[in-house]
Amino acid sequence: MATITSEKSSKQKTTQPDSATTVWIIQAVTGLLLILLLGLHMIAHHFIVEGGLRTYQDVLDYVSNPVILVLEILFLIVVTPHAMLGLQGIVLDLGPSKSATRTIVWVFRILTVLILGYGIWLAVALQNA
Amino acid sequence: MEQAQESLSDVRPKRPLRAWFDVRGHNAGSWAFALNRLTGIGLAAYLIIHLVVLSTLLQGEAAWDNFITTAKTLPFLILDVILIVGLVFHGLNGVRVALVGTGVAADKQRTLFWVLMVIGVLITVFAAVMVFAAEG
Repeated sequence: MATITSEKSSKQKTTQPDSATTVWIIQAVTGLLLILLLGLHMIAHHFIVEGGLRTYQDVLDYVSNPVILVLEILFLIVVTPHAMLGLQGIVLDLGPSKSATRTIVWVFRILTVLILGYGIWLAVALQNA
Repeated sequence: MEQAQESLSDVRPKRPLRAWFDVRGHNAGSWAFALNRLTGIGLAAYLIIHLVVLSTLLQGEAAWDNFITTAKTLPFLILDVILIVGLVFHGLNGVRVALVGTGVAADKQRTLFWVLMVIGVLITVFAAVMVFAAEG
């Protein structure tokens, strides 16, 4: 994280927040949202649907509800960056070189887009299953 | 800022990966840091596994039923409980980190940790009972 900041111009340093701080804030906000969304996810699975989601038809009925679809996509939008930024932080803490840091950051950005894209596609595809 | 970065590189351990797991003689904060990372890695892996499992829905009813049969076995139920332990710890420790980091409870870090861990144990026991009762 220090490496990324050191690449910024001195003007940027004074006008933009440190990238580590930005990541920390994103993690805190998405983390708190996740507690809320995961709570709703668990309540819907285990309390609203009697006996929990079990059969093929139960699950398809559940995911075909538009409110559930929106909640699940929202959950994906929050959980994926949270997970990938967390893993990125762990890898960057191993102290890679400046160029490796750039590559690692891009790899995790691409992974975020791929996971998010696949997850949203899956949620929509299940509507028509 | 540069001074802070210099001091960060000064305190950064020479072997960061080993430092996570070497919590001997360290305080609860070090344990929480190491466990937060381990549970984070596990939960990120679970996110991918969850998407793969849900993909079986696209293969039809037989594929899903096959998965559900496996998911009801004892090893999978134990994995469910391990997942809950990870989720509860990561979530509650995250709340602690957010409250301490934003200055809301900066001077109550230790108390907050233990209070949240007790809450975590209670939630986990309740959830574990629910998991086994549902399949029992």
